[in-house]
Amino acid sequence: MTDDVVAVMKIGDTLLVALQGDLDDTTVIQIEEQLTREVARTGASGMLIDVSRLSVVDSFIARVLARIVAMVRLLGAQAAVVGIQPAVAITLVELGVQMGHLDTALNAEQGLALLERLRRNDTGTDRP
Amino acid sequence: MLNAVTDQAIVKLGPHGEVVRWSRGAEATTGYGESEAVGRSVSVLHTEEDRTAALMEQELESARRNGRREFQGWRVRKGGERFLAHITLTPVRAEDGAVTGFVKVFGDVTESARAESLFHGLLESAPDAMVIVGQDARIVLVNRQAEALFGFERAELVGREIEVLVPPRFRDRHVGHRSGFLADPRLRPMGAGLELSGMRRDGTEFPVEISLSPLETVDGTLVAAAIRDVTERRETEQRLLRQRDEILELSTPVIQVWDKVLALPIIGTLDTLRATRLTEGLLEKIARTQAEVAILDISGVPTIDTQVAQHLLKTVQAAALMGTVSIMSGVRPETAQSMVHLGIDMGRLRSRNTLQEALQLALAVLAERAGTAATAARPLMSGDSR
Repeated sequence: MTDDVVAVMKIGDTLLVALQGDLDDTTVIQIEEQLTREVARTGASGMLIDVSRLSVVDSFIARVLARIVAMVRLLGAQAAVVGIQPAVAITLVELGVQMGHLDTALNAEQGLALLERLRRNDTGTDRP
Repeated sequence: MLNAVTDQAIVKLGPHGEVVRWSRGAEATTGYGESEAVGRSVSVLHTEEDRTAALMEQELESARRNGRREFQGWRVRKGGERFLAHITLTPVRAEDGAVTGFVKVFGDVTESARAESLFHGLLESAPDAMVIVGQDARIVLVNRQAEALFGFERAELVGREIEVLVPPRFRDRHVGHRSGFLADPRLRPMGAGLELSGMRRDGTEFPVEISLSPLETVDGTLVAAAIRDVTERRETEQRLLRQRDEILELSTPVIQVWDKVLALPIIGTLDTLRATRLTEGLLEKIARTQAEVAILDISGVPTIDTQVAQHLLKTVQAAALMGTVSIMSGVRPETAQSMVHLGIDMGRLRSRNTLQEALQLALAVLAERAGTAATAARPLMSGDSR
């Protein structure tokens, strides 16, 4: 079994993942393996990815986040990114990094509410 | 042989100061011909006052007792014009030691004295502290301003290495730099682009600006350093920067108008600097208050052109990355027309005519997000920034 590279907390049926430090290609692959495994194992319906403790958030990380979110969605869960810091947000916008497809929230609490809305949309039962 | 020397006057005097020999140089310097001078007292060259004071007799007596004398004094030419003479007076002795006469060598140094006093006058009247340094980096000359600036007495500085005025942590580097200057001496500011510091006698430091220039003299190349204390200017610059920051701060306020709702009344033209400050201010406030909705009120912006719109969009995108929805308010009819005519695309940014309507929308967004008013909020979802 592969070693866990990130700490994953389970709150209800949501997984809370905190990414930290520097991410390189190898670590990213390990993180993807671990997170997809965890979603499948726990049957979680949502995942919050906290990036507030990443030392750098650049276009590479943006692509990584988009990939993780896509994988999680394929497994039938919703995913959102929380904790983007002001300086990071400005840098990403100035770099022209496209992150419009990512769902973001200020903190874990608002992230949970966001996931709830995403799930409602996803099930489509309350669409007008 | 005496006559070969014309820039120096060479005169042989008898024991009482009467002229025995008068060189051509003496004639050129004083205007008196040999025939006029020989036999007369050399005091004919003295000023009226000096003659009255018996200065010549004193000079001869001094040389007779102490040997060779060298001094300067004012003399008068035949035409009545005064000149400053540099004089060497040597007694001539017989074998028994008795003084049989004198040899007086003198030259006109009025010009060089004038140049020197001019130089000193310039040095002392310069607004800057001046320190003049020799090839060996030892201080040759300082002016009053330098004494006052560094708190040293002149006598304490002359002969010391220039590094005594440099804070200790820069001294090693300074030694290297000054060798570099001596290798290629030319007028230039010192340490261009650097913030230089000088050190006073009591060890305190202060910011300075220094201009260096080489001085060609008979003693070789000296380096003149003009040193200016820029403490006040630095303070003024910093105050200006602070004030500019404050003005920017004032011009981009972020107001919390409701729980989790921020408003940014934007007033005046939005340039890049202000837009950056505005974005930073908004995002910091979002991080602090965890606000979910930001209202950008543009009713105070005279014109929205493509550049301003670009700035606004970046602010909106950055806020969205943090998880905050933006609403634009205060779009006037003419603004709406011109924006569309200019082809400005604000994307899916929601807009309202008045701040009041924008606030209502903000509250609806919040309610929808909290899941308490799902039906009322439903139409809003389609226009959400996600």
